[in-house]
Amino acid sequence: MIRILFRYSILFSLTLLSLSALSFSLIYLFPAEPVTTLTGIMPQNLMQHEALMNQYHLNNSIIVQFADYLSELFAGNWGVSLISGQPLSEEIMLALPATIELSACAMFIVILVGIPLGCYSGLRAYSATDFTINSISVTAYSVPVFWLAVLFILTFSLQFGWLPLSGRINLLFDIPPKTGFLMIDILLAENVDKAAAFSDALLHLILPVLSIAFISTASMIRITRRSIIDVLNKPFIIAARSKGLSSKQIFFRHVLRNALLPILPLMAMQITTLITNAMIVETLFSWPGIGNWLIQAIYQRDYSALRMGMLAVSTLVVMITIAIDLFNRLIDPSREKYESVTI
Amino acid sequence: MPLLDIKNLTLEIDTGTQVIKALDKINLTVNSGEIRALVGESGSGKSLIVQAISGATPPNWNITADRMSWNGNNLLSMSEQKRRQILRKDIGVVFQHSIASLDPSVTLGEQLEESLPDQLIEGSWFWQRAQSRRKVVINTVHKVGIKDHEHYLRAYPHQIPTDIGQKLMLAMALISQPKMLIADDPTRGMETTTKVQVLKLLSRLNQTRSLGILFVSHDLLAIASMSHTMTVLYCGQTVESGKMKHIRKRPLHPYTKALMDSAPSFSKDLPPKSQLPTLAGTIPTLQHLPIGCRLGPRCPRAQRACVNVPAVRKIHDHSYSCHFPLHREKV
Repeated sequence: MIRILFRYSILFSLTLLSLSALSFSLIYLFPAEPVTTLTGIMPQNLMQHEALMNQYHLNNSIIVQFADYLSELFAGNWGVSLISGQPLSEEIMLALPATIELSACAMFIVILVGIPLGCYSGLRAYSATDFTINSISVTAYSVPVFWLAVLFILTFSLQFGWLPLSGRINLLFDIPPKTGFLMIDILLAENVDKAAAFSDALLHLILPVLSIAFISTASMIRITRRSIIDVLNKPFIIAARSKGLSSKQIFFRHVLRNALLPILPLMAMQITTLITNAMIVETLFSWPGIGNWLIQAIYQRDYSALRMGMLAVSTLVVMITIAIDLFNRLIDPSREKYESVTI
Repeated sequence: MPLLDIKNLTLEIDTGTQVIKALDKINLTVNSGEIRALVGESGSGKSLIVQAISGATPPNWNITADRMSWNGNNLLSMSEQKRRQILRKDIGVVFQHSIASLDPSVTLGEQLEESLPDQLIEGSWFWQRAQSRRKVVINTVHKVGIKDHEHYLRAYPHQIPTDIGQKLMLAMALISQPKMLIADDPTRGMETTTKVQVLKLLSRLNQTRSLGILFVSHDLLAIASMSHTMTVLYCGQTVESGKMKHIRKRPLHPYTKALMDSAPSFSKDLPPKSQLPTLAGTIPTLQHLPIGCRLGPRCPRAQRACVNVPAVRKIHDHSYSCHFPLHREKV
């Protein structure tokens, strides 16, 4: 057990190390002066340039520079944005929770809808219901997310006016950002009608969450269905039926667990797609998340912001992937405890 | 009345492109307290029969039979619920691939407890019941010859050797104290001492509890030593069926004779270093079945009449289906 945790933490730190090496190399790869990309400050004169070079050890060898870079990263000094001049750590810490909130809600819907529907159509494989569910999910899977989001906006916000068009919450609510997660911030906020703020925030969530969840739900249905069909054809299900167990007992005791175990790692892959989709949808709904923030950074050629944004997002993805795999390892009895760690 | 009585069982498998008649008019009876051997080479449909009886059939299987009854109740027309009850209480099934037939995500102890019907558990409170359940499980596991129950009941299927898996399958089938045991090659790949133990256990249960056993195997030696009656299967057709001693003494069907001859321990007058007699060719695959008597292309006595399926003929309780049986002269 401890050995597994140890192995996973080694894997995690090595991946992060190579990611930070990549982000460090961006300092030299971007078409701007290294000192500017690193700090986000445009030196006004030679003296300031010299001072910055000394302060950030840019005159030393690459190895020393990288070591200094790492220690600055851990100290929380991520440089400032080229455009706004704000510290990047603060900006990212505000934007990232918004994305996590959006993706988590979407993931929740994906699991809540995708797995039961997938199970249902897997159990009734090759029937009319199954074909209907399957063809809907294939259609849904082939819809581009940006088009779907625009369609949602057109229908539900502009045509019917049921749901808000953009943003996380109505501007009338003044919620001070403490954690970055709006739902928690509302609970922490004072002098605000919490119920009203909450329902308003939920209304703002619906459209972006739905447009992200749509596609991932479709693929989740198909993954679950396939897995259920595979398990149903296994000899141990025949054996369980010959024991005289009812279909309900067989499903809950033997099918479900064996079908869900191989899905978990696939779900980790889904999360990456989901976050990517979230970043696209954020731009469309002006959701103040990391995706929107990165797109703005790209438009404005904010090199220092791009560098840190890439590192933050990839760290998040690596973290989730490794955590899911670790979880899978811990609950799956058929995976050998000491086999080497991979994701 | 026989426990299990099957007449003209036909199994058709729809592969999407064609319909294959995998079992063609199989006749089989198992009486209470009888050990019936079901013999045939690989691919003759032994395991299909086992699966058809146990009722766990894929949707593309179509089973028809003139009669398929358990204790006089028709298995094919009864409700799902009732058939399940029979499987739960009266029939124990051992499948061929033991490890694959065990759920990989559940410990063996839990799987054994699951096979135990509620009627056999004593006590009214849940802790008493749990205790009683555990006691029965440990007893059964000891009975089939697993000594280290602490270790194996907590293990998962991938952690145990195959012979332990086979014994556990047997324990799972026997734990409900069934009236009949269907054992699909329960001693496959076991070394001789373990095999003898298992066979002894089955014979003992047969004698003490009058357990009816359908013993599916191709191990002729084991069959000859323990079974009372025998049904020989070739390529989904029943070839010959009757009392063990009659068939051993005088097989009527050419295939049965070939099968007996191919086992050296049965032919006493075999000179040293002589070739063992076998039939030419191999058993046809399900996709390319010959018409009529399916042994036709390989049979040394085949003639033109063999393109029609031979009718079942009977001499006392010894039945065979062949146009030119061995006790008649060649015409």
